[in-house]
Amino acid sequence: MNTIEADGLTKVYEGIAVVDDLNLRVSGEIYGLLGPNGSGKTTTVNMLTTLVHPTSGTASVCGYDVMRESAAVRRSMSYVPQDMAVDIRLTGWENVELFAKLYGIKDKAERRERIEYVLDIMNLTERAGDMTKKYSGGMRRRLELAQALVHQPNVLFLDEPTVGLDVTSRRSIWEYITKLRGTGMTIFVTTHQMDEAERYCDRVGIIKKGVLLNEGTPAELTSDLDDVIIIRTDSDLPRSLPDGVIPVKSEDGETVFSAKDGSGSLDPLLDAYRADGGKVFSSSVRGPTLEDVYMQAIGPGEEAPFDEDRFRNMMRRR
Amino acid sequence: MYGVLAYAQRDLTRWLRSPMNVISTLVMPAAWLIFMGVVLPGTDKGYLDFITPGVLVMTMLNAGLFGGSSLMFDKVLGYLNKFLAAPTPRESILAGKIIFITVRGLLQALVIQIIAILVGATVLSFWAYLATFAILALFGVFVASFGTTIALYLGNHDSYAAAQSFLSMPLYLASTAMLRYDQMPAALYYIAKANPLSYAIDAARTASAGTFPVPEVLVLILISVIMALLCTRMFRRATIS
Ligand SMILES: Nc1ncnc2c1ncn2[C@@H]1O[C@H](COP(=O)(O)OP(=O)(O)O)[C@@H](O)[C@H]1O
Ligand SMILES: [Mg+2]
Repeated sequence: MNTIEADGLTKVYEGIAVVDDLNLRVSGEIYGLLGPNGSGKTTTVNMLTTLVHPTSGTASVCGYDVMRESAAVRRSMSYVPQDMAVDIRLTGWENVELFAKLYGIKDKAERRERIEYVLDIMNLTERAGDMTKKYSGGMRRRLELAQALVHQPNVLFLDEPTVGLDVTSRRSIWEYITKLRGTGMTIFVTTHQMDEAERYCDRVGIIKKGVLLNEGTPAELTSDLDDVIIIRTDSDLPRSLPDGVIPVKSEDGETVFSAKDGSGSLDPLLDAYRADGGKVFSSSVRGPTLEDVYMQAIGPGEEAPFDEDRFRNMMRRR
Repeated sequence: MYGVLAYAQRDLTRWLRSPMNVISTLVMPAAWLIFMGVVLPGTDKGYLDFITPGVLVMTMLNAGLFGGSSLMFDKVLGYLNKFLAAPTPRESILAGKIIFITVRGLLQALVIQIIAILVGATVLSFWAYLATFAILALFGVFVASFGTTIALYLGNHDSYAAAQSFLSMPLYLASTAMLRYDQMPAALYYIAKANPLSYAIDAARTASAGTFPVPEVLVLILISVIMALLCTRMFRRATIS
């Protein structure tokens, strides 16, 4: 049995399948669901956390069916939604205490110990007595993690945990997540930050318009792609290119090529520019990244610059 | 039950920490009382005693309608989603909210009752007060459920604020708060007879006079239960998609 299983999981809103026949097997790892805004990440998480009923298909968390045994699912997992929601008129301690109670930790001493423990892991002990109104974005996110961890869940669902945070906070959130994985917890996280996913996720799935296009470890996914050569030049493309070097795009005086063997192809490529009397200001070679995999899967221009999702959440009437 | 108390406690703590909210709902009813008791000292004491139950019920009405938006806010601000993902039975979110709104209303009514005594209302027996506040609690459950249902249906603050001001004054004026049934023109009489506020006010008056108002209380229990059930249905509709 996998910790998270989904078979043919589908959600239809207004005639559109926003999650379309999703199959998942996730256990004891950090699994990243990647996709642009509106691709169905939140809907997927909401179905797995029993907040949204699937239109069809099944899913289970820790062996419990999300529809038939939803209460048992909720006892086994914790969920930190995309939009930050800590009570600003409660202290950090009180925010965590509320969830300790909601998770049914009735024994006072035990509750106290758990709260102290999670606040300590999240580095919030010193500020525990302050109103969370005074907390920074990163602290609020950590407080939400503390709330989620207070009952020692087997699975943690995090919807865009680093969105809107600065670089240092992002890194510390990911480091906490990595530590939790070390304790055997399964972590299901959504993000559209490719660099973070590549660095911290054990396995990722790329979703577009509700369909899972690609799945694997970041290394597996990138190994299928060619190296990338970037040339800064004001010249046109050379008339003849070395074998296996394919131009990908050219903009702002920067031309990007792909090649199986990037470093081996660089010199022949530079020679080709010189042969035409062109001038190359600088050049670089890098291996493929998850971002390249993602861009290839999603296609250019699909990333909405405006966060519609957030806007819709704020404006949605019901 | 444990979850219900946790939710209610959360709301009470948050409320007590924002002094403006604590005071604002008291201004109207306190103004009525002080106007009757201090500004018009010539009027007979009987009229102050007559309107005090109405002003107490008005306090509950305003507290309940004001609190009606609370769950809707929890939803809009994302708290509700976190609560719904917790293992406590989901209905305890709603129960905690209704209890919070009612308890808050009762605390405000208590302040109003004290002001009434200070400006000259007759001091009643302990049992009369107990009966009065039990009636107020029942009415509180009714209004809190009513307000919460409307707010969840409308789904945003602006529409609900409009509905709230649209409802509160007419309900008060078209009740037995200011006039006895025999002083009313026919049209008003029938409206007042159908107005839940009248039942609460009549019941509170009878209780102040020293008898327990069985028929009115039965009506209040009935409409509170019906309204709480409607509210539960609305809550389920608003939380499950
Ligand atoms: N309650 C809803 N009613 C109608 N459409 C919805 C609802 N929730 C989400 N959607 C739509 O489903 C699609 C996927 O949304 P979402 O799962 O939030 O994507 P993501 O989290 O990847 O940004 C979007 O097009 C969104 O507009
Ligand atoms: Mg989302």
